[in-house]
This record gives sequence, C-alpha cells and structure tokens, in this order.
Amino acid sequence: MLPHAEMVHWAFAAGILLVGLCLLCEAIVGEEVWQMRAWRKYLWPGLAFSLGVLLWPVMAFFTNSSIHMYAHGSWAEVLMLAGGTELGLVHGRLRSPLWRLSWPLAFVVTGTAFIVHEQNPWFFARSAFLHHLLGWTFIVAAVFPLLLVWRPRSAVLQSCFALMIVTVSVMLFSDRDVAPIFGHLSSLAGTPHR
Amino acid sequence: MRRLSSIVLAALVFPAAASAHATLQSTTPKFGTEQQRAPALIRLHFDQKVKILPGAIRVLNGVGRNFAGPSRADGTDVVASVRPLKLGSYTVRWRAVSADSHVVSGVWTFGVRVPAPSVNDAYGAGGPTGGEHVVRWLWFLGIALAIGALGLRLIVLRGLEVPRELDRKIAVAAGLGAVVALQSGIAAFSLRAEDALQLPFGKFLYGDLSPMTATRFGTAFVTMTLGFALVLALVYLAWLLDRVAYLVPAFGLSLLLAGGLSFSGHDAVDPGSSWKTELADWVHISAASLWIGALATMAALLWFGAPQLRRQAFLRFARLAPVLIALVLSAGIYLSIVRLPRLHDLWTESYGQVLLVKIGLVCVALLWGAFHHFVVRPALDRADAGFLSRIGRSLAGESLVGISVLLAAAILVDSRPPARPIGHSDRSTLIGGSAATLTP
Repeated sequence: MLPHAEMVHWAFAAGILLVGLCLLCEAIVGEEVWQMRAWRKYLWPGLAFSLGVLLWPVMAFFTNSSIHMYAHGSWAEVLMLAGGTELGLVHGRLRSPLWRLSWPLAFVVTGTAFIVHEQNPWFFARSAFLHHLLGWTFIVAAVFPLLLVWRPRSAVLQSCFALMIVTVSVMLFSDRDVAPIFGHLSSLAGTPHR
Repeated sequence: MRRLSSIVLAALVFPAAASAHATLQSTTPKFGTEQQRAPALIRLHFDQKVKILPGAIRVLNGVGRNFAGPSRADGTDVVASVRPLKLGSYTVRWRAVSADSHVVSGVWTFGVRVPAPSVNDAYGAGGPTGGEHVVRWLWFLGIALAIGALGLRLIVLRGLEVPRELDRKIAVAAGLGAVVALQSGIAAFSLRAEDALQLPFGKFLYGDLSPMTATRFGTAFVTMTLGFALVLALVYLAWLLDRVAYLVPAFGLSLLLAGGLSFSGHDAVDPGSSWKTELADWVHISAASLWIGALATMAALLWFGAPQLRRQAFLRFARLAPVLIALVLSAGIYLSIVRLPRLHDLWTESYGQVLLVKIGLVCVALLWGAFHHFVVRPALDRADAGFLSRIGRSLAGESLVGISVLLAAAILVDSRPPARPIGHSDRSTLIGGSAATLTP
C-alpha cells in the first residue's frame, strides 16, 4: 500500500525546509557560532545525505512511468553525493573545497530532471507550473553554491543559497494539488482538490 | 556546440506539445490474477481522460490471437468487451493517447482457471537479449566487487594494522561495487520491462512499470535497490567515521542480496526448483562473488598499495579460498544435476553448452588457484620483491578468469534450462503453449 504522492512530496519538502533553515541560521549567526556545538556542523549535511538515501524507496516503489523512476533515481544519487561530500568536508575526511562542486552539480541535475519529467506545459495546472518553476529555480540557483566554492565565507551567497532551498521546499509543499494556476486549469487535469 | 546548446535549451523551455500525462490507476481484471470465470469486459481506469486509439486494448492468448472487441471511452475509463475465453493464460496490451500527445502503454497478464503467467512471459516478449546479458554481468561484477572488498577487509585483513590509505581504497571499491549494482539493477529492470512492454525507448519512457514490480524480477529489483542503497550509505559512514564495524552489516546485507540475482532469474521458477535449489544458488553465487571479488581486490589494491601486508594477506586468503571453492563446487554440482537431468543436455542444449564453457573457465581458475596454493604459498617465505611482484600479476590473471566465469553465470541465470522429461512437466507447458512460467 503506497502513500499518496502528496504525502511523499510533503515529507521531502519538510526535510528540505529543515536543511534550508539550518543553512539560513548558519548564514545569520556565522560559521563559528553555528559550529560551537560539534553536532550542529553535521546537521544539514547529514539531513541532505539521509534524504538522498530515503529517495531510493520512492524510486523503487513509484513506477507508474519509467521517466519518473529515472528522475527519482537521479535525485537520490545527487543528494547522497552532495550531502556525503559536505559531511566529508565538515568531518575533515575531504580537504579540497572543489568537492563542494557537487552542490551546483546536484542543483543542475535536479532541475533538469524536474523539467524533463514534467510533460505538461506551464499553465496546465499548479503542479505543472511548479514543476517547471522548480526546475528553473534549481538550474538558475546553481550559481550560488558554485560561487560559494570560491567565496565560502560570503554571507550574501550563503543567505541566497539557504533562501533558495527554503523557496524550493515551499514549492514542493504545494506542487501536487490539482488546482488552477493564475486562473488556468486544463479540463484534462481532473477535479480540483480544493 | 551553439546549435546543441540551443536544442537543449529549447527542449527544456518547451518540454511538451500540450497537456497531460495519464496514469493507469486500476484494471479489471487485476494484474496477475487467476479468474475462475472468464471476464466479459476489460476496464482500464486512468486518473484523467485519454483518447482512444484503434486496438487500444488487446487480449492475447498464447499464440497471439486477439479476443478483445473495439474499445470505447467511459469517463476516465477505457473499456473493451471480450469474446468468450477458454481455460488458459492471457496477455492484455493497452495503449492510449495522453493529453500531452504521448502514447502511454502497458501490459499485464491474467489466467482463466490457471495462475497468471509472469508479465515477463507475456505474449510477444522476446526474452533476454545480448544487451541484457551484459547488463546482468555488470550486476554480478558490482555485487562481487562490493562483497569481495568488504570480505577482504573483514576476513582477510582482520586484526592486521591496515594503513588508512588502503582502508580508503577498499571503501571506494566497495562503494563503487554498490553503485554499479544499483545502476545495473536499474538498467536490467528497464530492459526487462522494455521487452515485456514491447516498446521503443521513446515510448517506453511513458510505459507503466507497475505490473513489472509485482513479478519476482521486480521484487528482486526493489529489494536489491533498497539494500544496495543502504550498503552504500553504511560503507560511506564507515569511511567517514573510521569505523570498520559499520562494514559488518554492509557485508552481511551484500551477501544476502546476492540471492536476488538468482531470485530474479529463471532459476527460481523453473520446474524442479525448490527452496533447496534457491538456497544452493544463493550459496553458489555468494561464495563465488566473495572468492572472485576478494581476489580481484587483493590483486588491484593490496598487492601494490600495501606491500607490507602481501604475505599475510596471501596466506589468509589461501586458507579462505578452499572453503569458498568447496561451497561453489558442491552447490554448482547439485544445481547442474537438478537442471540437467540428462547428461547429453550438456552438449545438445544451449543452456548446457554455456554451462560447459563456465565449467571450463572454472577449471582454469581452479588450476590457477591450485598453483598459487601448492606452489606459491610454500615459496612465499623465501620470496624476493621481484617474485612477489610477478605473483601480483598472476593474481590479476586469475581474477580475470573469475570475471569471465561471472559472464557465463550471468548468461545462465538469464537462460532457461532444457525442459524436463515428460512426467515432470508443469501446467504451463500443457496449457499455455508458449514458454510461460506460472509464478507471477
């Protein structure tokens, strides 16, 4: 018995929101204060890594089309990679800051998978609109983790990175409803939920 | 380059011509069920309206005769009447046009007073191809690499002072094995589903894979995917936190998951198979994976990466290998007797011929291993650096033979053993006419 797709989206949106909020806190108080308690430095990288692991069941169980399976699989892999490299960096097992390139890579792959796996046009329904918006947000926002590789202490870049992740989580919370977007709803989209 | 960029950009901006991608939510009769009365109607329930194509629903028997009448739309359902069906197994193939103009398709099976065949054996499915053999071989290699690297660290190097760099390399090898197992599992599942659905790749992207996950192959795929994702996470945490203890559950899990290779093949459903043959197959595959994987990892990582451990590792592996070989041979001989009840099947049937090639390769590997055991091991104490270096190359050679054995094993797992003599045949050969297995 599979949970509804909405539930799964909400669960992952909650996880991504937590990652974004941790990043935002770190950007506001600064790395030194944030890491005064040792466990806190592992918090958001560990969460990201765990979300990657938890995406594998989504890939394996939600198989109503091949393209969804591949999209979920690619998100699982890049989240594990990005969370894992961040864990390695904060724990000191990885040294080169270039490992942080895994984040822009994850953003670009995630964004592309969002756009490719959404087969409806922007104004088909709210979910389609948000899938397109999520895809483009990820692709454009990849610039922030990319610049952070060379400017790791920039508070502006850190804040932008955190806010982008918070934004993405908000979009994920609302992207499964059958609902109009700016007054548009295709007659083929089904009955609006609310 | 600019043109390519424009095409990629255009594909991202305008991903679809128009509208929706329909999802099949339920069917009547249900996937893989045995019907006591022949259904008079086939009903597909979608999450949205779809357009009807000529021949939207086809109900095919074992020789491809269609029993479905014309299809019609009924709200979000597509319905087709069915002419009276006799006792037997049937394949339903459907297709409909989604609002996005993509053709969504699917397949499932049911039986009338007989169990439904696996969807892998649906009418029209061609069976494993050369590409599938290669992918399954990669699946074997990934699992052997994960099991071998973990076994090397936990059994062969147990209690020894292992340099941190070697630990890192072993973790990378085990992680790489898990990643290869994950990717090749996805590829193997996709190829199997593509064959069952009988669709070109472009249309396959919108094919419904749900009936596939209900098959034994699907169950193995889901279990192995989840399992190897966990193995990957455990190996990563072991490396990150410098805790070898995390490798123990990863090793145990990998050994258990090796059974999925036979569970997903023909072995598990062929006549004569039982829990004993499945257990023997698991012992055969896991012991072979540990033997070949540990040998290859030792040759590639330890021999030149940690020369101070070469002697001890070699001696310990030489104690472990005979146990593994005994397990491989005893399980293999038992399975050969069960699957090939007549000796001449070995040279008259394609399954037997592949088995002969595999036996030949195993013999080469055994002779090579015997040379290491009886000639190299006693000479190891007085060996100089040059001798040890040559032994490294010899171990790599034996590993390559082992990898070839895995290729033969991959083909065997995908292949069907010859039919058993009359008296042992199952209902599928009597009823279906096609090569249908009865276990969904």
